[in-house]
Amino acid sequence: MSRRLLESFGTATVFATVMTLLQLTAVPVEGQAPPTTAWGHPNLEGIWLDVYDTPFERAVELGDRELATAEERAARDEARMMSPGRNRRGEDGRQDVAGAYNAVYTSARPAGPRTSLVVDPPNGRIPALTVEMQRQNEIQQQWRLMLLRNTETCEIGAPGCSGGQYGEPSPDRFDVAPFYNTGRMNRHDGPEDQSSGDRCMSGRTPDLRGFRRIVQGADSVAIGYDTGQGQGFQRVVNLSGGHPPSQIRLRHGDSRGHWEGETLVIETTNFSSKFLYRGAGANRRLVERYSRVDDDTLTYEMTIEDSTVWTAPWTIRQELKRQSDEQNRIYYEPRCHEGNYGLPALLIGARMDEQAFAEGSGPNPFSMDTATCVNGLQD
Amino acid sequence: MKIRFRGSTVVTALAAATVGAFISVAVTSTASQSQGQAPRPAETPDGRPNFNGVWQANNEAHWDLEAHEARPGMVTQPGVYEYEYAEVPAAPVLALGAAAGVPGSLGVVQGDGRIPYTAEALSIKQENAANWIDRDPELKCYLPGIPRAMYMPYPFQIVQSDDKIHMTFGFSNAARVIHLDTVDLPPDYTYMGHSLGRWEGDTLVVDVTEFNGRTWFDRAGNFHSEALQLTERFSQMTPDVIWYEVTMTDPQTFTEPWTIGMPIYRRMDPNATVLDYPCIEFAEEFMYGHLRREQLVERWEGETMIIDITRKIPPGDELHQWYRR
Repeated sequence: MSRRLLESFGTATVFATVMTLLQLTAVPVEGQAPPTTAWGHPNLEGIWLDVYDTPFERAVELGDRELATAEERAARDEARMMSPGRNRRGEDGRQDVAGAYNAVYTSARPAGPRTSLVVDPPNGRIPALTVEMQRQNEIQQQWRLMLLRNTETCEIGAPGCSGGQYGEPSPDRFDVAPFYNTGRMNRHDGPEDQSSGDRCMSGRTPDLRGFRRIVQGADSVAIGYDTGQGQGFQRVVNLSGGHPPSQIRLRHGDSRGHWEGETLVIETTNFSSKFLYRGAGANRRLVERYSRVDDDTLTYEMTIEDSTVWTAPWTIRQELKRQSDEQNRIYYEPRCHEGNYGLPALLIGARMDEQAFAEGSGPNPFSMDTATCVNGLQD
Repeated sequence: MKIRFRGSTVVTALAAATVGAFISVAVTSTASQSQGQAPRPAETPDGRPNFNGVWQANNEAHWDLEAHEARPGMVTQPGVYEYEYAEVPAAPVLALGAAAGVPGSLGVVQGDGRIPYTAEALSIKQENAANWIDRDPELKCYLPGIPRAMYMPYPFQIVQSDDKIHMTFGFSNAARVIHLDTVDLPPDYTYMGHSLGRWEGDTLVVDVTEFNGRTWFDRAGNFHSEALQLTERFSQMTPDVIWYEVTMTDPQTFTEPWTIGMPIYRRMDPNATVLDYPCIEFAEEFMYGHLRREQLVERWEGETMIIDITRKIPPGDELHQWYRR
């Protein structure tokens, strides 16, 4: 029975608003790894994890300083320990359900030596969005606020309604969204109104948080990602051939690699518009670099460019620590979809709410917040 | 570049070691070089068969492991005559015409060609076949399991290391890792199994256990329980063909172990690449379409075909009941 129970934990739930990782405890291993594979490539094999908690962008006041002081790291650890996480309880059940994944499920990694994952630009901050991207974001934001207009979230001015106003349900509320939706909205007409996480499609490239298992062949490299509630995925980096024609668009893009000295350099293009990374879709191009610095450490650098989203390319850097191969603590069988009770249950619930409203026995569904659950958590 | 075995001299020398391999290696090398791909030696540096690359079965096993005649539709119904061999395509696939049929096959089950079901399991298999649309996990885009993933009509890629062999399948981005080294058991039963491999001479032998019993073998309703254990054998027929053999042991479902065997071929296409078959989104309308506020599928009108489909879902096979299996 406990295995069945475990399995249900591995499945997606729709009401959890943030894709959290199962608590990850680093288990560094000892022992010498061969520096090269049998065919002479630098050996990158193993299960790897960024064991530190590092802010994605650097705090403005730190300027160009890349490394944190011991005091700053201690302060970050202290602040995290004192944080209640999402253990708070609301007055009604909806809010509790939104916090169903409390601190137990949230990563408790220690503060790392870096002040930010972003290392270029030198200020550690993602370059400004293009004017067009800002406009697109505004369209999305206004759409989501429009659907929340008649809810308590807007009535009390909760964070989830930030930038919006309380009012009657909008006459536009039954329209098709003016963008390809991948986020959560306060409407559930069909699967397309749900976030990609609710649909078990949130895994996307690049992924920086989860375990990575690297298996190397002479002419290809497989990278399995264990991330986000059973939403992991596989990439194969071919060391030969070329990118497919531009009409081929793939969820994780097409990855081609080559060796530059001791570094595996991976270039990825041909991304799909349906699977976004920080708003970047089909036009993004990644250059990733893996290199082994010692037995237990890989450095990983990823430069992303998409001139339709950002005004300049930017780069993150991580140190990844080798995990025990024998313990094999990687969940390489992503089976969110196989246990996705949440999505049909949510759609059925929405149809029941509509029926109750039509029969005069329930409130207008658009007066209920089933997207942010009042407390302001956004997907 | 540190790739060893580059250059035609080395490739030829290796190939000459086995006469049977010579032609295929030379062809592989020539074909791939002309397409800008790195030449691929027949063996790895430690002398194992080199399974790196993109592979795909080319048979009808994904329809039915057992020998079967061609059928006019993936689902059929009684036609004018009562004979079973005179059935006609049924409504779910009728609009697809001749593209909706099932090709015949001599089958891949060794011995007498039949799967040795227990009497009870055989009746479940027949029910499965009669309720294929509602029961086959493939239609829902669920993880296909092993061995099914190995012979689905989608390519897969093998990345071969010394102590791990990684396979990535086009269907739903499924994957398996064959561990040639020592690893702990997974914390839960699995769809894709837990694969422990070893080399017996030039044959890769893989024991697969820890199945959750939710996967099928094919589209004909052939199934197993969570007691399933597999022994797979990957042998190099030529550098571009693997002879793949699997023995299934499952006393809850079968009266004795049974074995399937088939060749799996290297995809020789220029720039052969496994492209996603991202079927979670493909299956959403199938699984959740009836839960939309407004249905997308309407009756056809005018000169356009109108098909009324009465799809009775048998007790126990409604979508929500699936999750309890």
